[in-house]
Amino acid sequence: MRRIPPFVTAMAMFAIAFLYVPLLAVGVFSVNATRYGLTWKGFTLDWYIKLLQNEFILEAAWNTLVLAVVSTAVATILGTFLAIGLDRFPWGRKANTFLDVVLHIPVVIPDIILAASLVVAFGLLRLISEVFEPGLFNMIIGHITFQIAFVALVVRSRLVSLGQDIEEAARDLFASTPYLLRRVTIPLLMPGIVAGAMMAFTLSLDDFVISFFTAGPDSITLPLFIYAAVRRGVSPQIHALSTMTVLVTVFLIIGIERFTRK
Amino acid sequence: MKKIVLILVALAVVMGGPARAGKDELRIYIWSEYMDEEFMSAEFEKKFGYKVRIDHFESYEEMMAKLQSGGASQYDLVCLGDYVFEAAMSMNIIQKLDHSKIPNLKNLMPRFYNDYYDPGCNYHVPWQWGFTGLLYRKDKIADKDAQSWSLLFDPKKLKGPFYLLDSQQEMISLTMNYLGYDPNSYDTNHLKEAMKLVIKTKKRSNCLGFKGGVGARDEVASGAAQASTCYNGDANKVISENPKTLGFTVPKEGTFMFLDALALTKDAPNPEAAYKWLNWILEPEIGANISNFVQYATPNKASMPHINKADLNNPTIYPSKEVMDKLFYLKDPGENMKLLDQAWTRIKAQ
Amino acid sequence: MLVWYGELTTQRNLTRRGLGFLGAGILWLLVFLVLPGMVLILVSFITRGGYGQLVWDYTFENYKRFMGFSVFGWTADYIIIMWRSVWVAFMSTLICVILSYPLAFFICSRPEKKRYFWLTLIIVPFWTNMVIRTYAWLLILAPEMPLAKLASFMKLIPPETPLYPSAFAVYMGMVSIFLPFVTLPLYSSIERLDWSLVEAAQDLYASKLRIFMQTILPQTLPGLTVGVILTFVPTMGMFVVPNLLGGSKYMLVGNLIQQQFGTSRDWPFGSAISMALMVLTMVSLQLYRRRSKEVDVI
Repeated sequence: MRRIPPFVTAMAMFAIAFLYVPLLAVGVFSVNATRYGLTWKGFTLDWYIKLLQNEFILEAAWNTLVLAVVSTAVATILGTFLAIGLDRFPWGRKANTFLDVVLHIPVVIPDIILAASLVVAFGLLRLISEVFEPGLFNMIIGHITFQIAFVALVVRSRLVSLGQDIEEAARDLFASTPYLLRRVTIPLLMPGIVAGAMMAFTLSLDDFVISFFTAGPDSITLPLFIYAAVRRGVSPQIHALSTMTVLVTVFLIIGIERFTRK
Repeated sequence: MKKIVLILVALAVVMGGPARAGKDELRIYIWSEYMDEEFMSAEFEKKFGYKVRIDHFESYEEMMAKLQSGGASQYDLVCLGDYVFEAAMSMNIIQKLDHSKIPNLKNLMPRFYNDYYDPGCNYHVPWQWGFTGLLYRKDKIADKDAQSWSLLFDPKKLKGPFYLLDSQQEMISLTMNYLGYDPNSYDTNHLKEAMKLVIKTKKRSNCLGFKGGVGARDEVASGAAQASTCYNGDANKVISENPKTLGFTVPKEGTFMFLDALALTKDAPNPEAAYKWLNWILEPEIGANISNFVQYATPNKASMPHINKADLNNPTIYPSKEVMDKLFYLKDPGENMKLLDQAWTRIKAQ
Repeated sequence: MLVWYGELTTQRNLTRRGLGFLGAGILWLLVFLVLPGMVLILVSFITRGGYGQLVWDYTFENYKRFMGFSVFGWTADYIIIMWRSVWVAFMSTLICVILSYPLAFFICSRPEKKRYFWLTLIIVPFWTNMVIRTYAWLLILAPEMPLAKLASFMKLIPPETPLYPSAFAVYMGMVSIFLPFVTLPLYSSIERLDWSLVEAAQDLYASKLRIFMQTILPQTLPGLTVGVILTFVPTMGMFVVPNLLGGSKYMLVGNLIQQQFGTSRDWPFGSAISMALMVLTMVSLQLYRRRSKEVDVI
């Protein structure tokens, strides 16, 4: 493109270092052979081995995955239909603005407010039915709630940019609604849906606050586990866990990149 | 489309439904590092066939908060202490114990069988008792300085980093006692003074803030801090590894003692397993195993012969009479809990 | 009957079908988003019982306490916390923006093929959980590390203490978490930048600052807006970073709320504070909207 002043490059490098130095520190200390303290005592993979034997961590990892997959699946479906319903049908201006606002709420408010309202809501719902004990069920509900909004917004922007021409042409050829959906709209929308789903998946994996407020004793997820452990004091096993998480993320990203490039 | 949604929702319900502890799992909610978890779970499973699942908390307020926001029916046994017992009773979280299922209750010392908050052990089974004190690094702090709580509260005494106890009622009562007031009084003025002192202490540049007992102990052990409030058992664990560098004292102004116990929750998913556990921990060898591991004092008379001789002679576990006289109990604040909570919020907020 | 994009149908038919699409999603949002929100508002007006239960006596007590009037005398504590949260959010966002521009420009200056590499480099931390990224700072700021040693050498902190808990640590944590949130949208704006305008300004001998303010900034405004909104608002409500890096010495409104729903067991008070935060969020968004043109958030 163009030459940029070296000072800009320097700042950019500083920014990257800022992002990575902490993660590298975690990686370095995950192979440090000492339980306490930060002096270098030798290289060891012990902590990783202990990690894989730790039942609780494996369970937390499983919970995290289940939570992300289930909530993403439900949210993507609900969000996509929501977006189609919002954009492809004539609603009055007032209705449209109302729906728009409701959709934007989970995106713009600090998630602690969302979490607080869920806690209160579940607390009251618990009086009606026992199903609402803190646990994976509540967490899934919480995650879906904010994921729907993101998915809907992403899909809707894709819908808008698609325009209605192709669908109109299909209608002119007497396509019925199910046919239209199955053969025209959804396939065209796929990139948007996939983008929305990926975003929802990331948000779920990354989420801490909502999970924190809705988790129960047998539904600890990895972020919650790490948080509780760190509050008691950092240990190399946690470093190992974190490093593994980062590495898995890297592989995931590279994998998705390869997949979408094909 | 709709079918897929239904299937997924069904999956979600199945996967994450309410406490499916199942007939073969026992769930316990207890302080962290309060027993040899690996050993105890394995032994219990071997003997009775139930899998044991243990969850931890770092302070009683945390435990109460969790139980109140819906955790009560997800645990079988909960560890309570003297000052939260009444609260747990009035909130209807625990149920009366069927003594016929716990014959080993006879092993308890009479003093603990008839303790002040539940004489006759109708609702709880004593676990361990202990007291709080000051954990400090001998290489940085002189022994004589550590004989008083002023090590923490007086800015001139300690230059290095330290932690305060992250437990609401315990920390505030300790401070009120230090100031010479009744630690269980809820006089607004006393509370206010204690609150101000804690805030002033917290604001000093060498105070690293509040941490739970175990966390703070680890920091002192690793050298990241030089002093902290600590429970005697936790302290003893690290002192036995590093007797030259770490020390523990009961400061002269006094401190509080606690008697922790296990209680059976009202909606326990697996009361059968819970009763087996309650009876089992009162066995002489098991009771001794717990105490030998955590290095707290046992309330179990039959266990005494099995306790490590060194522990029996250790004044930080089984203290002398003069130290015992300086120990006070924390009482349940009842309605005044609100005042405590408000004060604590203020302390943490500044 | 009307023709709706090639289809001959009735208004009623359309409405029915539309609701079929919208139905599930909107119902979900209503039940789990709007309704709880209203319940939260309601709860902020009730009292808390002795042991932390909800007692349905309506009162303004919680708001009064928030304003500082309590049993222990008046205090500006909570207002200070709100102000502090806004300030931290503002400064963190500012630092993120200052660091993001060079970073985004840098990536744009790389050849097409290499850009993926740099973008991936940014996305990896972005996808990593914030708990990990936050506690990693506990390592960097520890007493044995060079940074803390430097600070104690310069007499800024007592010897052998770590650089946390402190405001500095909190800022470090916040910026490192939210940097990608600003960089990525900004990058997509800069990618579409029309450099002819910049060149024109240069031809007219405009100063560097003027070039930036008048040609680059307006064109990157959409990306900047998205980035700022995605950073400023969440930062105000964060509690993980202040909790781990600020200890209890640097409390933000997120911690306060979390504490009320946790160990303090004071849901009404927590709800009241949440409401205050909500109001603050709305006000900030309005202010920002007014100063920049209408922009689609996603």
